[in-house]
Amino acid sequence: MVSRAQPILSARGIVNRFGRHAVHERLDLDVMPGEILGIVGGSGSGKSVLLKTLTGLHRPDRGEVRVEGKPVERISEASKAALFGVLFQQGALFSSLSVAQNVMLPMRYHTRLPLAHQERIAAMKIELAGLPADSGIKFPYQLSGGMVKRAAFARALALDPRILFLDEPTSDLDPVTASGIDALIRQLNQGLGITVVIVTHDLTTLFTICGRVAVLVDRKIVVDRIDRLQKSGHPWIHDFLHGPRGRGAKLGAQKEREQSHGIR
Amino acid sequence: MSSVLAERRSPAIDIRADGDSLAIAGVLDISTLPDAERALKLRKLVSVDLRNLDGLDSPGALFLCGLRARGVELTGVRGEHKALLDLICGLDLKPLPKVPRVPRWREVVIAIGKGGEEALRDARDIVTFIGRTANSTLAALVQPRGLHLASVSRQVAETGIDALPIVGLMAIMISVVIAYQSVTQLRSYGAENLTINLVAISMLREMGVLITAILVAGRSGSAFTAELGVMKAREEIDALKVMGLDPMRMLVVPRLVALVITLPLLTFFADAVGLLGGAMATQVLLKVAPMQFFEHARSAVDTHDLMVGLIKAPVFAVIIAVVGCMHGLRVRGSAESVGHETTRAVVKAIFLVIVLDALFSIVFEQVGW
Repeated sequence: MVSRAQPILSARGIVNRFGRHAVHERLDLDVMPGEILGIVGGSGSGKSVLLKTLTGLHRPDRGEVRVEGKPVERISEASKAALFGVLFQQGALFSSLSVAQNVMLPMRYHTRLPLAHQERIAAMKIELAGLPADSGIKFPYQLSGGMVKRAAFARALALDPRILFLDEPTSDLDPVTASGIDALIRQLNQGLGITVVIVTHDLTTLFTICGRVAVLVDRKIVVDRIDRLQKSGHPWIHDFLHGPRGRGAKLGAQKEREQSHGIR
Repeated sequence: MSSVLAERRSPAIDIRADGDSLAIAGVLDISTLPDAERALKLRKLVSVDLRNLDGLDSPGALFLCGLRARGVELTGVRGEHKALLDLICGLDLKPLPKVPRVPRWREVVIAIGKGGEEALRDARDIVTFIGRTANSTLAALVQPRGLHLASVSRQVAETGIDALPIVGLMAIMISVVIAYQSVTQLRSYGAENLTINLVAISMLREMGVLITAILVAGRSGSAFTAELGVMKAREEIDALKVMGLDPMRMLVVPRLVALVITLPLLTFFADAVGLLGGAMATQVLLKVAPMQFFEHARSAVDTHDLMVGLIKAPVFAVIIAVVGCMHGLRVRGSAESVGHETTRAVVKAIFLVIVLDALFSIVFEQVGW
């Protein structure tokens, strides 16, 4: 899946400091078009700051983020809306708007489509995110945790972004709902050709859908395929992937792969 | 595919018609969709050729799926677009359901009914809460270890000492306003010396305590609601209950006791600073020396004028603390309800303070104070 094409998003020499505490120290990261990249790291290792840096919400102390060769801070608001979709951890749905209005908000300001069309497209995105049709007129407080995530997916997809950033998409969800979200991510990646960057602690997500995994350790980043990361000698990476949770997730992922390929 | 940044700047679509078949070239996405819609309107179509279509997004695919559903054949679909078209055409699309409309007159009736019900509930809640607070406060005062003195002292610092600068400033401003307003009226009777009486009496009896109570309601009443509301939303109140600790005694009683201590002190401070402000204003207006002002004021007011103001302060303090804490504990679930309850707490506290002040005026008039 990883092509040898130019990276769609590249970060070079990122330095982030908070007071004397350095979170990132000359960190490099490339995201290839069409891939699903997982970002992991211990608590406080700067995953969220990295996500904010990549999307241009946080300006790094040093270093540069480029999207298709263009510095992220020089991209206009309208193009950024069409480039990036972000799924925030708590959903960040606007509480005063219904789900459909949440999805239509960026369309209202960045396109010149008539309202009836926007509603049709919003209904399509809501359906695409796997929500029942009648949830379009519901308000965020009427939704369950899994439905909030799906509604936030629908909004993140509003303008067909090229890159989708997901901040802990399966946290706080039961395993059945979490697997549904994993399947949705894969479907969007394959059907819409969206590049996906996932910050997650969910080992099952990493093993089943991520093509490559970026591990934040020692203020730097290590990127590789997960099967090669398993052989890494770094103590944190080893403990992370070979702990009891890691073993369980790996077994589950292998079983799923065998079933989907029809191998016994 | 070329750079998306370049594409977004100049999205181009080229539609060529040939009889009842059509060829779409370029990019069919959310920005070029209106052009495509316009070109295809009122046209009978049999087939659409997509061989030269370079870019397609999901709204574009939705449009093409709509054509296909009407019996138009899509020819020359490129491999890279097939997955997207299959995905979108495979969706079971339904229009958004209509929001049920309620007639305007019914909305008004419903609003009146809800408002009335809520006012009744509010009145009942506040009486209940005053009772519960009184119960917990008395129990805490009787039991030597029941009152959390550290908590009380922190609340005294936050609601009292931190409020001194703003209370003092407001008291000076109000007394200056009273002095300037009354001097022009009294001058026409040649009685401008009575300005001193007016400033002194109105500061001590009414303005000192009222201004302080309103400021404290806005400053500390809202803080009580927000603090307790956030604790409620984050399940900290439930955590206290599970540990066998009474939230009333842990959180409400210290705030109430602290405010009952600080509001009379703040009122006394406002009275003193207000008189000082009056002295400054009359010095400018009437060329009266400050010492003369205080001598004259002493003959105009006596101790019970001061007491009339100070007696009201603890009552107002109870109302502000009770309303603030009650609304804080009323927060349900999410963070937005904290903001909602804070607004209501401040409005209600100020309203009740002014209502009680009016009642006090009537009572004191009857008693002859």
